[in-house]
Amino acid sequence: MASAKLTNRLDDTLQDLDRELGKNSDFKVRRFRVFGRYPAAMLHFSNINDQELINTNILKALMYLPPHLPETDRTSEQLKSAILQDALYHSESKFEREMSAVVVALLRGDTAVVVDGLDEALLIGTRQIDKRGIDQPATEQVIRGPREGFIEPLATNIALIRYRLPTKSLRVETLVLGERSHSQIAVCYLEDVASPKLVSEVKKRLSNIRLPAILDTGYLEQYIEDNNISPFPQVQYTERPDKVVANLLEGRVAILADGSPLALVVPTVFNQFYQTVEDYTERFLLMSAIRLARLVALIFSLIFSSLYVAIISYNPELIPTEFAVAVAGGRAGVPFPAIVEVLVMEITMEVLREATIRLPQQVGGALSIVGVLVIGQAAVAAGFASPITVVIIALTTIGSFATPAYNAALALRLLRFPIIVMAGVFGLYGIVIGLILIVNHLLSLKSFGVPYLSPLVPGNFNGMKDLLIRAPLFSMKKRPAFLYPRDATRRSSASVSALKEPPSDVLSPANNRENDPPKEPLP
Amino acid sequence: MRSDREITMIQLGSVVSSSIIGVGILPLPLFAVRAGGAGAPLVAMLGSMIGFAGIWLLVALGKRFPRETFVQYSQSIVGKWPAAVGSLLIIVYFTVLTAFGAREFGEVVITSVLKNTPVEVTVIVMLLLTAVSCRQDLTAFAYIQYFYLPVILVPAWLIVILSLKNADFINLLPLWGNEPQGIWRGGLSIANLFQTSFVISCIIPAMKHPNKALIPCVWGTVLAGAMYVAIVAAAVGVFGAEEIRLLLWPTLELAKTTSLPANVLERMDAAFLSIWVTAVFTTLHCSYTLTVVSMADLFKLKDYRALPIFLLPLVFMLAMQPQSIVQMYTTIHFIGQLGLLLTIGYPAVLLLIALARGKRSDGVDRKSLEKNGLPDLPASD
Amino acid sequence: MTGNRWRRTACRIFPLLISFPLLGGCWDRLELEERAVILGVAVDDAESGPAEEGDVTHMPDFEPAPEQPMYRLTVQIALPGRIPLGPGGGGGGGGGTSKPSETVWIVGVTGHTIDDAMMNLQQKLSAPLFLGHLRVIVVSEKIARRGFSNLNDYLRRNPEVRRMAWMMISAGKAEEVIRTHPPLERVPTMYVISTLDNAARTGKFPQTFAGMFWSNSSKKGQEGVLPYVRLKEEQTLEIAGLAMFRSDRMVASSSPLQIAAYMGIKHINPGGYRGIVQIGGDSLTIYSTHRSSKIRVRIRDGQPAFTVDIGIEANVEEKSNESVSLSNETILRELEKIGGQSTQELYQGLVEKTQQYGSDIFGFGEYVRAKKPGFWNAQVKTKEKWQRMYKEASIDVNLKIHIRRIGMKAE
Repeated sequence: MASAKLTNRLDDTLQDLDRELGKNSDFKVRRFRVFGRYPAAMLHFSNINDQELINTNILKALMYLPPHLPETDRTSEQLKSAILQDALYHSESKFEREMSAVVVALLRGDTAVVVDGLDEALLIGTRQIDKRGIDQPATEQVIRGPREGFIEPLATNIALIRYRLPTKSLRVETLVLGERSHSQIAVCYLEDVASPKLVSEVKKRLSNIRLPAILDTGYLEQYIEDNNISPFPQVQYTERPDKVVANLLEGRVAILADGSPLALVVPTVFNQFYQTVEDYTERFLLMSAIRLARLVALIFSLIFSSLYVAIISYNPELIPTEFAVAVAGGRAGVPFPAIVEVLVMEITMEVLREATIRLPQQVGGALSIVGVLVIGQAAVAAGFASPITVVIIALTTIGSFATPAYNAALALRLLRFPIIVMAGVFGLYGIVIGLILIVNHLLSLKSFGVPYLSPLVPGNFNGMKDLLIRAPLFSMKKRPAFLYPRDATRRSSASVSALKEPPSDVLSPANNRENDPPKEPLP
Repeated sequence: MRSDREITMIQLGSVVSSSIIGVGILPLPLFAVRAGGAGAPLVAMLGSMIGFAGIWLLVALGKRFPRETFVQYSQSIVGKWPAAVGSLLIIVYFTVLTAFGAREFGEVVITSVLKNTPVEVTVIVMLLLTAVSCRQDLTAFAYIQYFYLPVILVPAWLIVILSLKNADFINLLPLWGNEPQGIWRGGLSIANLFQTSFVISCIIPAMKHPNKALIPCVWGTVLAGAMYVAIVAAAVGVFGAEEIRLLLWPTLELAKTTSLPANVLERMDAAFLSIWVTAVFTTLHCSYTLTVVSMADLFKLKDYRALPIFLLPLVFMLAMQPQSIVQMYTTIHFIGQLGLLLTIGYPAVLLLIALARGKRSDGVDRKSLEKNGLPDLPASD
Repeated sequence: MTGNRWRRTACRIFPLLISFPLLGGCWDRLELEERAVILGVAVDDAESGPAEEGDVTHMPDFEPAPEQPMYRLTVQIALPGRIPLGPGGGGGGGGGTSKPSETVWIVGVTGHTIDDAMMNLQQKLSAPLFLGHLRVIVVSEKIARRGFSNLNDYLRRNPEVRRMAWMMISAGKAEEVIRTHPPLERVPTMYVISTLDNAARTGKFPQTFAGMFWSNSSKKGQEGVLPYVRLKEEQTLEIAGLAMFRSDRMVASSSPLQIAAYMGIKHINPGGYRGIVQIGGDSLTIYSTHRSSKIRVRIRDGQPAFTVDIGIEANVEEKSNESVSLSNETILRELEKIGGQSTQELYQGLVEKTQQYGSDIFGFGEYVRAKKPGFWNAQVKTKEKWQRMYKEASIDVNLKIHIRRIGMKAE
């Protein structure tokens, strides 16, 4: 079947195609005559085509003989060249012999024209799928920075990248994955920046994927990451084209899939998960402080509730006496040990959060108010939880919201539970054991061979300018060394030296004193 | 399984530091004061110097045999069977050291924080943590040691700095103490705490540039030695030498006296002890890795990942041998003093023989040999 | 691929092993509100004898250590439910009540040793005793004069006890100090703590936490001091002076003003004491703001000799009438001179008192040990010897007062 070729008899071909696709009501066959004399048929799936284009640029163009051509009998070769070179007003068209290729093309939205006497079908790209407009990225909002986000069609997404990076070294290589979905996957990189080994490894890992369908880049992620059972994401996803471009410029490789508004960026290291676009667009001092705050929130969300459990149940001597006595007062009516109380409240919070995400926005807001205010207040009033527990739970939850990357926040949210249990069993000792296990795991984790905690481990001091703080852009002269970029320098030193020159104060009073204010014409 | 020789100098330095700083820091001021009274900081400094002598010997040997571990080059220096005996002793010694390290920390935890938890549990948890981490390759080992170094240093220095306000300088005078004759013996017992740095004999061959091992080792020792001296000085400054004689773990007591400014934490002993789990872990990780890697070398195993778990019951049984905390400390001290022969004496003998017989490893860096002007002999067997 | 198999096996064994501790788990978990949080302890000697004591730690025919008296412990335990959470609590708060007498529970118990008493107490209480928040230890003078190494040993050995707890000697019964319920603080112990904390902050009293007392007592060339308190009318607590020790026995107490002398010699700031100076028919109150001292030691004729140079910065705070004008400098010089003389007498008085009892609370011996180790090793070496030698040591106090400011009034 795969090697079946078309014949030059129109009716046979139509019969064959009807056998393959005819059971679909949206499969349309339109018979007509090419140049008014050769019987032909046009085939397409009516819902995924541009009808206007088909009518004017295909049907009309092929029905009439172009006026500059003589009206003679033509051999099949002449007919082909006349159709392609003289008659058709469409750029994306070609002849195809393979039956299976024609079927795939039709399914993808192309239009096929079969002419009696030709053993090839003319395939014309008329695919038109309705798409939503380019919108603000929903999950990665910024105050200062571009407002465009990726949408589903791959072509639009590639356009968004190319428009930001009109350089000849941007390479977009596509491959088709998915035995049934035939999804287009694009691998983007900068040829003179990205390490060639990385590019070929990405392509190798991608080409090994055997899946019936690629519905989202999330499917790809799980097949190309290094450690499948780790809770930590080793691939970053983003819906911001500017973020993809910034990563390409650092020497990373981006993977886009048709139908997914999320691009994958590899390799990924942990610090990317608490960085945002704004870190680079706003002033460095402020954003360094905010980044530190984000990091604190991240750590909060991981260990704050377990610290509470450990201190209440094991080491109450650590907190000030006045506070300890007060906490004991708050907990006096609660029948459960702190660990049960905290676990129940944490799980309740997770349920609430999940419920809020799934609900439509208008209802979600109301629900979160009901959940947080009413349930929290009622739990305290009912003696089910102590007020301080509610405060602690609220802090950890808010802390996990402050992490920009949803998947990383998810990992830490999950890991919070075993640490709470460890705290319940061994107190502070247990927390530290739990943290050591997590950190050891992080230290052994790799993304495409890059140690996950780079550039902190294995110590690259140049890279640390962008780790906890964000150094001024001009001071970051090198691309991240752990990516082994072909071209290590990010920007030439000329721009830095220009920056270091004393600014010329063109408008300072000192420079403008001699030429007195020009005589203004009086009104 | 072996790493790709990518350990950097900074990582080596951190391995040295974090291998030295461990559970031993808790009773350290007591040992130092017993030996030197008010001159305890001097004892600590002397101990660091003796400890560094051992490290220097290993670096010197590592330079002569840049791509071989201790077990391997000792064979080419003194022959197969004598070296095997020596290596076996080293392996046994560090197994014991791992066991007692875990036990010592277990005792501290049981005494001060988790009073009702069986000591077996705290010890086995610590050993399990170590064994699981030892299954990774040497690169990951170096990463772990490097990452935890600040986690160890920052709280310890924090306690030193915060306790300054309670310290009385007069307690530290006279600098050499009132009974200076004990200082030498004290220095030797402090040097016990430096023995875990023997692990560099496995790390140096896995380095990018084994010839540059000396500088990071110096830095690592200085970092750890300074930490020791500072802790001892702070403890003596705050409590006075006589009070320290009455305290089993003066460092912990120091953390107890220290409160964070503005009463955030009223006392830091439990918090410090928890963070100190990391320091103990890195030290155990070092000694256990040394055991496992040396064993793999001795028995020519290619893959040592199963070894840590296999040895675990043995280590656990060893750890449970001391019957009381007093007996434990006596044993640790006695074994430590014997161990000095093994970790400083034995390498010294090896280096002397290697110098006398002109042994070096062949191959890798002949250039540096020629620079040194030493006869370039091919290594036999 | 054998390695891989091992790895898988190990991966299977590991969760099993790690689950062992979890299954047994929670040996030490004890919720804060389930603990009997002891905030303060008072140690008295028991008068009623062993009649009311059960046999908790020993058999009935137990013979206590020779000349060991019975102790009576009075402990203050926080009642969690009664202390309202958060500031205020004045509103219509539900169960919370802030009357100090109702926020704590005061229980008395007797025993042969401290631990025996504690166990007798535990026998009576449902919740396990928790000493992690023990902030105040009051010892009656009677016990202190008899020596209380037993108490110190118990507290030092217990890992929960903090070294930053205030330990004090009460003039009368210690129990009464613990039983005060002043209206200023919600928790009575907190009032005692804040009395001493504020005294330390305003330069009225040195910080002498239990831990510092222990380390000073351990030193060969120094003795410990503790606050000496007395309960006065209207539930107030007066800091009545310093309790001076010799080894573990209290030997004497000082007057409140002598605390200033102690702090002056020990160079403890800020200055907080006022002194009245008679000058030209007027009596002026001057107020010391800063103290500095320098102790030098020499060996003279086989005996240590100390010179203490003390400088005090002071301000004029009050004048009793208008007969003296402060507007010229000579009068200030004279004020400095007269004030200096009377202060010097105060200082010397304290030093002589300590010498009389052989209680070197200033740590002069430590100076000998630190600065003259040769002499120390040859002549002293032990605490007992220093206690004897201290009585004979010559100590010169040179004191200067500098008056810097006279307040907002010009003369």
